[in-house]
Amino acid sequence: MAFEKALWFIKRGYLLQMSYKFDFFLRMFFMLFNILTYYFIAKMMGDAAAKYLEPYGGDYFSFVLIGMAFSGYLMISLRSFSESVRDEQMMGTLEAMMVTPTSTSSIIALSSLWSFIFASFRVFLYLVIGIFLGVDMTHANVLGALIILILTIICFSSIGILSASFIMVFKRGDPINMLLMGSSELFGGVLFPIEVFPGWLQNISHILPITYSVSGMRHAILQGYTLSSLAPDILTLALFSIILLPLSLFVFDRSVLKVKAEGGLVQY
Amino acid sequence: MIRQRLKTNECLGCEIIGTYAIETKDLTKRFVLDRGFLDVIRNSRKRNVLTTLSGVNLKVKEGEVLGLLGPNGAGKSTLIKILCTLILPTVGEAYVNGYNVVKEGQQARSSIGFITTDERSFYWRLSGRENLQFFATLHNMPQSQVKARVEELLDVVHLKNRADEPFLNYSAGMKQRMAIARGLLNDPKVLFMDEPTRSLDPGAAKSLRDFIKDHIVTERGKTVLISTHQLDEAEQLCDTIAILDEGRIKVQGSPEELKKGISESSTLGDVFSFYTGKSFEEENVSQVPFATPRQRKRGRGFGSMKRKGY
Repeated sequence: MAFEKALWFIKRGYLLQMSYKFDFFLRMFFMLFNILTYYFIAKMMGDAAAKYLEPYGGDYFSFVLIGMAFSGYLMISLRSFSESVRDEQMMGTLEAMMVTPTSTSSIIALSSLWSFIFASFRVFLYLVIGIFLGVDMTHANVLGALIILILTIICFSSIGILSASFIMVFKRGDPINMLLMGSSELFGGVLFPIEVFPGWLQNISHILPITYSVSGMRHAILQGYTLSSLAPDILTLALFSIILLPLSLFVFDRSVLKVKAEGGLVQY
Repeated sequence: MIRQRLKTNECLGCEIIGTYAIETKDLTKRFVLDRGFLDVIRNSRKRNVLTTLSGVNLKVKEGEVLGLLGPNGAGKSTLIKILCTLILPTVGEAYVNGYNVVKEGQQARSSIGFITTDERSFYWRLSGRENLQFFATLHNMPQSQVKARVEELLDVVHLKNRADEPFLNYSAGMKQRMAIARGLLNDPKVLFMDEPTRSLDPGAAKSLRDFIKDHIVTERGKTVLISTHQLDEAEQLCDTIAILDEGRIKVQGSPEELKKGISESSTLGDVFSFYTGKSFEEENVSQVPFATPRQRKRGRGFGSMKRKGY
């Protein structure tokens, strides 16, 4: 039954997305712009940053391509759960769904499914375009990359569910989203290596899950690290997931109860 | 007197709870109201509380159609939403089909249908058929049954020919019929309808009332709790009427009993006025969208409402 529900949520997301075709093509078009921008920045930089990029293979375009592609999962996780709560509240469909036997947490998780599939499609396009522009992925450790991807999604989704709990109760003004969105791009090693920071600033990078996610992905895809070499990143992401997932589900459950007690389920 | 009979019924609170299709016991709901920023700074401990339901005791037998009659703000929607598990009660207990709506919410939701007037509760860019298929899946219906069930219901609500059009193309009456089809997806034992004819013109409202009476009540024998502030609707559809005002059930009985309880020539409007101390027309005529200026001036809406000086 869960599979059938998932398929219907994906179908619903696809149909709604395709009913706004222009938006879809515009997003794809500007994604290409983004990639090309960094391609030419990398060309201009040449070997200037080789010292910092050494642990990641030495090439800036490959570095930034993986960073941008997989940081998309963080952005989607942070936004999709809270946005699906807010969208369903604004459309008025949340109440109609919550009067069915499907649990609220399933509704919110499944509502975000299409966003993750769309994000994965974007990652795939990033990688394909990257290959065309000369990024070498021939040594990629696919299994390692998949494990990191799954842990990344679990970990980021947990943060997204926490964020959705705030939206459920406060409707607007979600501190988790605001805090992590900005800090992850700056400190997470998405656009440049964290080694550029002075030591004390690197400490901030080390408490952000995205740091381990993009670093592990780069090592797995660009340098083909073995599973044992990837273990530090994998274990750290697993630890984040073990802590964050139950915490986020607990907080979300509490927020649903609070909102039901206040009668604010459909307010936005 | 009906009032005395109601008191006797209240004494039956010692019966085994959960033996009725719908049953509430001392159901109370208080909402904490939002306060202004300055008000919070001035007195952080103060809480503004609004009591929307106060000690509501209600019993609805299987197959019975109960009309909740009351003015805006009486607590009708709050009561329905508690019974649909969308709002938690502050005090008291509520059972639907024997399930406690707080402790056994999932089982309660499996056995009910909720028909809301909110046309926004559908995906406007999906077709009527896609909407119904989506909600059927949320009711844990296997895909092998979804198609047949949706087709059957589209036929029942006479929307088969328009089922593949986007929901946004539908008229208000069609949207409301879609809401009924959605409420019947899981073949629920109990149906909750929150002012189902509110946004419809008189013709469409009558047609919908006939549909509810013929297809849902007579043909399928569902237990229905319908909230309304249309007297003729309540009279036409309901076996029993409960008058809810300021969060309290003032009286409950069949329309005939209620009217006879006052005098032989009484109307339901008179009953409402008798138990609430308010004139039904004054409460509602301003909300009747098609009331003529003359009707407004005379304090009359549609139907057979007559003003009496209670």
